[in-house]
Amino acid sequence: MSIPASSPLAAPSLLQIEAQFKSRIWRGDAFGSSPDEVVSSGFDKLDKALPGGGWPTRSLTELLLPAEGLGEIRLLSESLRQIIRRGGNILLVSPPYIPYMHAWENLYMDSRRILIAGVYKPAERLWVLEQGIKSAAFGAVVGWLPEVSQQTTRRLQIIARAAAGLIFLFRPVSAQFEPSAAPLRILLGSARRHVLSVRILKRRGTPVASPIHISLPWTGRFSNSVASLSASDQSNAVDRSSLSSVVT
Amino acid sequence: MLWIALHCPALSLDWVERRFPAALIPAMAVTVRKGNQVYIQQANQPAQRYGVMAHQPLAGALALFPDLVVIEHDPNEEMKVLQEAAHAALRFTPNIVMQRGGGLIAEVSASLRLFGGLKKLCQLLNRAVAAQGLQLCTGIAPTARGAWLLALSAPPRTVINGAGVKFRSLLDSLPVGLLESAQPHLEVIRGIGCKTLADLRQLPRSGIARRFGPNLPAELDRAYGDSPDPQKWLEIPEYFQQAMKLMAQVESVESLLVPVQRMIEQMCGWLASRHTAVLAFSFVLHHEYSLRQPHKSTPINIRLSEQSGDPRHLMILLRERLERTKIAAPVCELELVADEITAGADANLELFPTAQSEATSLNRFIEKLTFRLGPRAISGLTVVPDHRPERSQRFEPLGMKGISSFSYRETHRETIPAELARPAWLVETPLELKLQRRQPVYGSPLKLIAGPERIEAGWWDDAPIARDYFIAENALGQLLWIYHEHNPAEKDKKGKTAKSWYLQGLFG
Repeated sequence: MSIPASSPLAAPSLLQIEAQFKSRIWRGDAFGSSPDEVVSSGFDKLDKALPGGGWPTRSLTELLLPAEGLGEIRLLSESLRQIIRRGGNILLVSPPYIPYMHAWENLYMDSRRILIAGVYKPAERLWVLEQGIKSAAFGAVVGWLPEVSQQTTRRLQIIARAAAGLIFLFRPVSAQFEPSAAPLRILLGSARRHVLSVRILKRRGTPVASPIHISLPWTGRFSNSVASLSASDQSNAVDRSSLSSVVT
Repeated sequence: MLWIALHCPALSLDWVERRFPAALIPAMAVTVRKGNQVYIQQANQPAQRYGVMAHQPLAGALALFPDLVVIEHDPNEEMKVLQEAAHAALRFTPNIVMQRGGGLIAEVSASLRLFGGLKKLCQLLNRAVAAQGLQLCTGIAPTARGAWLLALSAPPRTVINGAGVKFRSLLDSLPVGLLESAQPHLEVIRGIGCKTLADLRQLPRSGIARRFGPNLPAELDRAYGDSPDPQKWLEIPEYFQQAMKLMAQVESVESLLVPVQRMIEQMCGWLASRHTAVLAFSFVLHHEYSLRQPHKSTPINIRLSEQSGDPRHLMILLRERLERTKIAAPVCELELVADEITAGADANLELFPTAQSEATSLNRFIEKLTFRLGPRAISGLTVVPDHRPERSQRFEPLGMKGISSFSYRETHRETIPAELARPAWLVETPLELKLQRRQPVYGSPLKLIAGPERIEAGWWDDAPIARDYFIAENALGQLLWIYHEHNPAEKDKKGKTAKSWYLQGLFG
C-alpha cells in the first residue's frame, strides 16, 4: 500500500521535519553550528573544527593544559586582540605567573585593556570569575582553575549564557576524565617543537578523532641558531630553522 | 494633574515596628489619652492575638497581657517617619505633599512616561514606600483631595484607581465621615440622613455653609476639582543626614541590613530629587555608651571611584564593607551621611551598550572586587621602557582610583622591539634551576634553542644586571626563558666551574 506524497495524512518525511525545524534540530552525526556569535581564533584549521567557525561567546571553553609555556597565550592572542580592538577589556583571573606585558603588546594586545585579578583562594577565585562573567565590562574572561567540581562548571556555564564575551578556563589535564558542563573542551599539548596540538574532546556535533596541529605566531623567532653550543645542540637548532619555514 | 495618595493606616505602630529587627517585634500597642483615661489606639498583630484591641482602656489591655509594650502616640515621630518615606518616594516625582493624618500625596503626571505608565509607576511607588516599613492604602485621582479621600476609604494594601471617568461616581459613594471638616458635625450630618458625599452635595450649598461652616463645601469643591487646591510641597533639605535609633541592641550585621537598605533608598531618593550623585558617604554604627564599654561608634567611610545614585550598587558596596566590619558592641543607632555630592550624570536608557556604560560597569566591577578582597586584588600592568624584565612593568592597583586613571594613561607605550622574543609569563623571582651534567633541568633536561641575548642594563641605578638569555625547551614542549649571569671577572677567578641557570619566564 502506498500513500501519495501530497496526502495531508502522510507522515512528514525526515527531510521535511528537518527543513521545518532547521534551527532547533541538529543531527548528532553532523557538524554542529553555534547559534551564538563566535570570534575567530585566527587559525583556519582550528576555526574549521570549531562549531560556528570560532571561539563561542556565551559559553565556557575549557582548555586543558599539561603545563604553562606551551603557547597557550599565543593560541588565544588573535581572538583576544580582536576583542581589544573592538574596545573590550580582558580579565585574567588568577594567572599562574606574572603576564609580561611587553610580550603581550608585541602580540598586539593593548596592556591597558588587560586587568589582572590576583586572587588565589578557591572560593574567591570563583566569585571573581562569576562577577567577571556577569559584568558587561569584559569582552573576554580568562581564568585558571586548578580544582573545580562539576556543579561549579555548570553554575559558571549557566551564568555564561547571559554574558556576551568569550570565557576561557584553563584547567589541568587531569580534569579531562571528570565530567564538565562546558560545551567545548580542548586538550592542548605540544606536538612537535612550537607546534601546538589541539585535541577537541567535546564539541557540539561529531567528535573529532585526530588532534589539530597549529603553528603559533612567533615560531620563527625561536629558530635562531644558538651560538657557542655543543655540536649536538647545534644540530637541533638547524633542524628547527627548516621547520619554521614549513609551518609559517 | 494626576495624584497618587498613600495613606498609612497603622502609622503610629509602623514607626515603632520598623526600628526592631523583624524577628524581635514584641506585642505592642499605641495609646492615646482621652480626658483622664488612656485608651489603646492601635495594637499590632502579636498583641491582637492576646485579645488587645483598639479602643480598649489601657488597664483592660494590661489585664489581658501584662507584658504588653505600651507606646504613647507620638505625632512627631510619625511625621519623621513619613518624611523619611517621602525621601524614598522622591525618586519618582519631586512633587510630594505630606498629608496630616498620616500619608503622602504625590503628583505624578510628569513621571508617567519615564516609569512606564500609571500602573507600573503606582506599583513602584507603593513598593518603595512600603519597603520603608509602612502599610499603605492607595488612591489615585485627578485631584489631591480626591486621591486622599479614596486612599482613606481603601482597605489595607489595596489601590483604588479613580483616574478617568469613574472619578466623580467613586467620590460620590464615599462616606461623609472621611471629610476632615465634617468631623465636628458628623452626628448632625448623619442625623439629617446624609451618608455619602453625593447626599451632602444634593443639599443647598448656602445652607451647608451656614450650618457647618464654610470649610465643608470648600473641601468638597477641592475634592471634586471645582476649586483650586494649592499644595505645600515637601521641601528637600540641602544636606542628607539621616539617623535611626534602633529599639533593640543589634549585634549581627544580618539584622542591620533591612534598616540599612531603607536608609540607602532614602539617600538615593534624595539624590535623585536634586539630580546629583554621591561620591563619598559615611555610615556610622553608634554603640550604647557606658563606662564598661567605651567604644562609642564605628564609622564606615565609603568613597566611590565614580559617582553613583543607584541604590542597588551602593547597597552592595556597603554590604561588602559591613560584612567585613567587626561589630565591637551592640548597635543602638545608625547614621547615614552623604559626604560628597556631585552633579550626577543620569544614565541614559541605552538600546545598545556603549563605551560609557561599559566603563561604568568596569568601574563597578573594580569597586565590587576591591571592597570585598582589598585594594590589591585587581590591578593592571603598566609597561615601562626598561630592558630588565623585573623593572619593565609595574603593577598598578586599580583600587580606589578606578579604571579612569588606568585605561586612559599615556597613549604612547614604548615596548621592547618585537624582534626580540619575550615570554608571555614571568616568574616572580628567577628560579634557580638544578643542574644535571652541567645541563639545566626543568622537569627534564633542557635543550637550548635560541640565544644568547645579552641584557646588560641598570648600571645607572642600584640594580645592574648582566645576563645571557637563552630560550630552552624541555621534553614536555614547554618553552622557557632562562639565563645565566654574565660575569667575566668571576669566570677568570673560578675558571670553568658550572654556572647556575635561572628560569625567568615561560613562552605561553
